[in-house]
Amino acid sequence: MLLFNKMAANPENRVLCYSVFKWSSYSSTYLPENILVDKPNDQSSRWSSESNYPPQYLILKLERPAIVQSITFGKYEKTHVCNLKKFKVFGGMSEENMTELLSSGLKNDYNKETFTLKHRIDEQMFPCRFIKIVPLMSWGPSFNFSIWYIELHGIDEPDVVQPCLNWYSKYREQEAIRLCLKHFRQHNYTEAFESLQKKTKIALEHPMLTDLHDKLVLKGDFDACEELIDKAVHADGLFNQYISQQEYKPRWSQIIPKSNKGDGDDNRPGMRGGHQMVIDVQTETVYLFGGWDGTQDLADFWAYSVQENQWICISRDTEKENGPSARSCHKMCIDSQRRQIYTLGRYLDSSVRNSKSLKSDFYRYDIDTNTWMLLSEDTSADGGPKLVFDHQMCMDSEKHMIYTFGGRILTCNGNVDDSRTSDPQFSGLYAYHCHSNTWKLLREDSCNAGPEDVQSRIGHCMLFHTKNRCLYVFGGQRSKTYLNDFFSYDVDNDHVEIISDGTKKDSGMVPMTGFTQRATIDPELNEIHVLSGLSKDKDKREENVRNSFWIYDIARNSWSCVYKNDQSVKENPSKTLQEEEPCPRFAHQLVYDELHKVHYLFGGNPGKSCSPKMRLDDFWSLKLCRPSKEYLLRHCKYLIRKYRFEEKAQTEPLSALKYLQNDLSLTVDHSDPEETKEFQLLASALFKSSSDFIPLGFSDVDQTYAQRTQLFDTLVNFFPDSMTPPKGNLVDLITL
Amino acid sequence: MSTSTFKNRCVTLVCCKFCDSLLCTRGMKAVLLSDTKVELFSTDIPPHSTVDFVASCYCTESCKCRLKDIACLKCGNVVGYHVVAPCKPCLLSCNNGHFWMFHSDSVSAVNRLDPSGLNLLLWGDLPETESSEDEGTGDLSEEEYIR
Repeated sequence: MLLFNKMAANPENRVLCYSVFKWSSYSSTYLPENILVDKPNDQSSRWSSESNYPPQYLILKLERPAIVQSITFGKYEKTHVCNLKKFKVFGGMSEENMTELLSSGLKNDYNKETFTLKHRIDEQMFPCRFIKIVPLMSWGPSFNFSIWYIELHGIDEPDVVQPCLNWYSKYREQEAIRLCLKHFRQHNYTEAFESLQKKTKIALEHPMLTDLHDKLVLKGDFDACEELIDKAVHADGLFNQYISQQEYKPRWSQIIPKSNKGDGDDNRPGMRGGHQMVIDVQTETVYLFGGWDGTQDLADFWAYSVQENQWICISRDTEKENGPSARSCHKMCIDSQRRQIYTLGRYLDSSVRNSKSLKSDFYRYDIDTNTWMLLSEDTSADGGPKLVFDHQMCMDSEKHMIYTFGGRILTCNGNVDDSRTSDPQFSGLYAYHCHSNTWKLLREDSCNAGPEDVQSRIGHCMLFHTKNRCLYVFGGQRSKTYLNDFFSYDVDNDHVEIISDGTKKDSGMVPMTGFTQRATIDPELNEIHVLSGLSKDKDKREENVRNSFWIYDIARNSWSCVYKNDQSVKENPSKTLQEEEPCPRFAHQLVYDELHKVHYLFGGNPGKSCSPKMRLDDFWSLKLCRPSKEYLLRHCKYLIRKYRFEEKAQTEPLSALKYLQNDLSLTVDHSDPEETKEFQLLASALFKSSSDFIPLGFSDVDQTYAQRTQLFDTLVNFFPDSMTPPKGNLVDLITL
Repeated sequence: MSTSTFKNRCVTLVCCKFCDSLLCTRGMKAVLLSDTKVELFSTDIPPHSTVDFVASCYCTESCKCRLKDIACLKCGNVVGYHVVAPCKPCLLSCNNGHFWMFHSDSVSAVNRLDPSGLNLLLWGDLPETESSEDEGTGDLSEEEYIR
């Protein structure tokens, strides 16, 4: 017997009719209605805002409620500065109540662009009657916003939309009831609460949290609460969602190495910028070579052992040991497998460019035998790159290859005074086959925008992902232009993949260019870490910008800012407070130990205009920390016990004091200054006659009940949203 | 920097043809040096509050001058260009010293009258201004930031 599953025919997605309902402004003849008509060759067939001061918007009203699935933007036949580089789209059944459906931007070209709009909550489609388009930025920052043509697509068949409308209606009612239940319970209107719950059969929250409420607010059984939470964290892993949403906190710590012997300053590397560092993750050793100390190039070679916390000078002058001459702005990479370090490139300032040889020498250092070998006197003669600086180099240990990309080619100056010399030349993408000591040019510098074309640059970041075997390249500069693009190069398939062409950018959502970025990669976590420091723009430096740290999630293709420290730096050399983090700088080095998840930073140029020759020699480690389960559990216990202490303090101060000193003290991390300080202040609760703090909105409730309710509200935040009562409060909907 | 040949030229108001907003009050009808069939309007003072740059520098076929387009701030349409760096031949030949140009098909122009209101205002009557700013400022070595 065959069972027929009669599936409804796929509802048709078609063009939706709308009218322009409201607008923020318009200029001249560029009326809002013009967006209804698609005339790409008419420059006046568009809406243009009166200015680009916010708020600017267009509100469209659909002829009938519909599930709006996509929006199409028409364009002008030529590129135009008024095109929207950044915009948001909102939608809803009423003007006042709209949700964000899309945040994106248009390319500045002449092609129509279509975007999918959010039209589902979980799996349920929801309808809209109004669509609001909010321009945020145009391609020419000083220009007004223009929209040429808008088309909306979706489903407006009543057969499909009506059930969605019903669901939406029901969903709103349900949420309203939950808010009421929450309000009744907060105010201890027990009968009203029970009556409403019985009638509607709607659950305010997950039974586990109802149980927590019962134990905490109604019974004051604090021990049982702690047990409940302990089980939730350990057995059920319920805090995991909260943890994954937390931001990483950076923990910088300045490394003060052990000094050996006692010969003063010679036991660690001196101040420098433009040096190079690599890390051997297996042995936890950081190698440092060369650099510029403000006056001259250096040729000293050092190794730092993390375990021993000690620097060892491998060589005071590598040139004397068949190694490279003193240099800065070279690039190094390490083959941890074979325990070899390579160095290529260097910078020569214009005064010596004519006298010194411009041969690109290429050296290898063998760690175990402590010997240098000249691999090539001039890589350019071997088919490799010319002498470059500010390039990037990566090691592929698996296939025993080295990749180098970008950098500026050093040439003899013709006429040193002529500032308008020939355009600077940038080096392409090269592969070096270690075994055969041969070079291959993979990509020439190209300004074409073909899918496999690659634009060379300086000051960029390039990282090799050992698991997916791709090079990741982003940022950099070509003369005065800052590049914003981000692409990957699959080394095995010789294929370029553009991750971001640098145009559809939400400013503030990606690390800004021109800020001397240093990047590292964690192939296991599939993340790229970027530390942004000092701006190359002297004017921006006055703005007291500090470091910012970004993480790029490769799988999700999304950037997140770990921290952006905007505190102003006091130029006080006799500062008594210890620096919490290294000052922003350029020409520094950052390496990453992906096994132990630690970054190391050394030296650089602080960019002090009053002492341009000054360089740094500080050495830092950075750990990115998220709160752990244990930490959160301890924190919850602390909150519960703190409240318990405060309750006790009002009636049995002596017993409370004992509780403070024993049970509560156990939940405090006494090595943390902030926690200790807060703990010490708690004792003052013993001397208050009555708590003078009535939580807002709880004036009609018993104080104990109100305070316990507050604690409950705090604790439920650690649980997944699907389990908790609604976050809002009924009283907050009341406006004056 | 008007030479004698240009003192008798009329001063024009230059307006954007697309949205009628005023772009410049000191325009001069001129011809392109490298192609004298092309008419345009030029001005000496950078019209900063009415136009802004779009896109990047480029060169034309007719000569090696480096140009950058400018667009009306009101409607965003390209109305002309700015000579970022003139080429030697153009610089040496007889020119009016203006580096800001408006395409005649993108603008409309009206001759200005002198204070009396009876006669046309001529360039010779306009107060002298400073020559256009030095384009090569901030040419710091980019190498400053690498070590």
